[in-house]
Amino acid sequence: MVARCSRDSWPEAAGVAAQAQAIRDRAVTLAQTDERVWQDALAALAGAQIEQDSDERRDHRLEQTLERAAAAPLEIAELGADAAALAALAGERGDGTYRADASAAAALAAGGARAAAHLVQANLGVRPGDARLARARASEQAANDAAARLLEPLR
Amino acid sequence: MSRLSTLSDAELVQRCRAGSSDAWNELVERYSRYVYAICIKGFRLSDEDAEDVFQDVFTRAFLRLETLRDDSALRPWLAQLTRRRCLDHVSSSGREQPVDETLAGEGSPDLQEVEEAFAVRQAVAGLSDACQDILDRFFAQDQSYRTISAELDIPSGTIASRIARCLHKLRIELED
Repeated sequence: MVARCSRDSWPEAAGVAAQAQAIRDRAVTLAQTDERVWQDALAALAGAQIEQDSDERRDHRLEQTLERAAAAPLEIAELGADAAALAALAGERGDGTYRADASAAAALAAGGARAAAHLVQANLGVRPGDARLARARASEQAANDAAARLLEPLR
Repeated sequence: MSRLSTLSDAELVQRCRAGSSDAWNELVERYSRYVYAICIKGFRLSDEDAEDVFQDVFTRAFLRLETLRDDSALRPWLAQLTRRRCLDHVSSSGREQPVDETLAGEGSPDLQEVEEAFAVRQAVAGLSDACQDILDRFFAQDQSYRTISAELDIPSGTIASRIARCLHKLRIELED
């Protein structure tokens, strides 16, 4: 919205609006994927609890299911970082009238990245020191930094 | 990018007429997606049927290139050839719900979308390699700024701005 309203004063505004649209479309698809893979993971975990005996193939399948369940929130965390970076750009270069809206968008995106990173960590297949967790936390940090660039001057 | 890919349609047609097989290959490469998209999107042909029409269209185009009156009108000429072949294919296959010619005609929304996509593709081809690459990564491959930054070795904080600038150039290309 900030970029769309800044078209008269900012030549790159349309390009930023197009990226925001692409990020929004991706977020919808990823949220649906996340829901589906998490349901799969829950079903696989429930199945593993019923069958007490250890089975290598079943364990491998469970591991793969959990891996998919961690991959979706990881992508969402990265998307949150992108959304926050884009909002920061719009807030800094776009029409000043809408800077507070850009700040709000960046804060929401940072919140989304944080929530997604938490889901990556909560996933049973992710252990401390896991590279996926490090990536998710890096995205969370990047989103926070981008949001802070806009929010700090307002304090 | 090959040397031939920078030629205009009219120049390409002239070289094809002169017997250049490289020019013919470039013509097929340039318009293969376009012809295929009309078959699939405009006429809902199966992959197999689209492949038949595709072969037929380019065979006819090759044989009838002499009849093209305006060399710069290659695209509409190919579109017309493709539409006719698609309609022939639909009627000869006895499909229960034949495509209404007015629906799949020049002004149909599906074909307009194909035209638009093709125009964008051509405009993208007119951008620098760096712009083509970054737009492809973000919009076609769904890569994040972080991934683009790591793979192209450019600062992450400049990616969104670079993409926006490339899109601005793309708009100018499209308006030309």
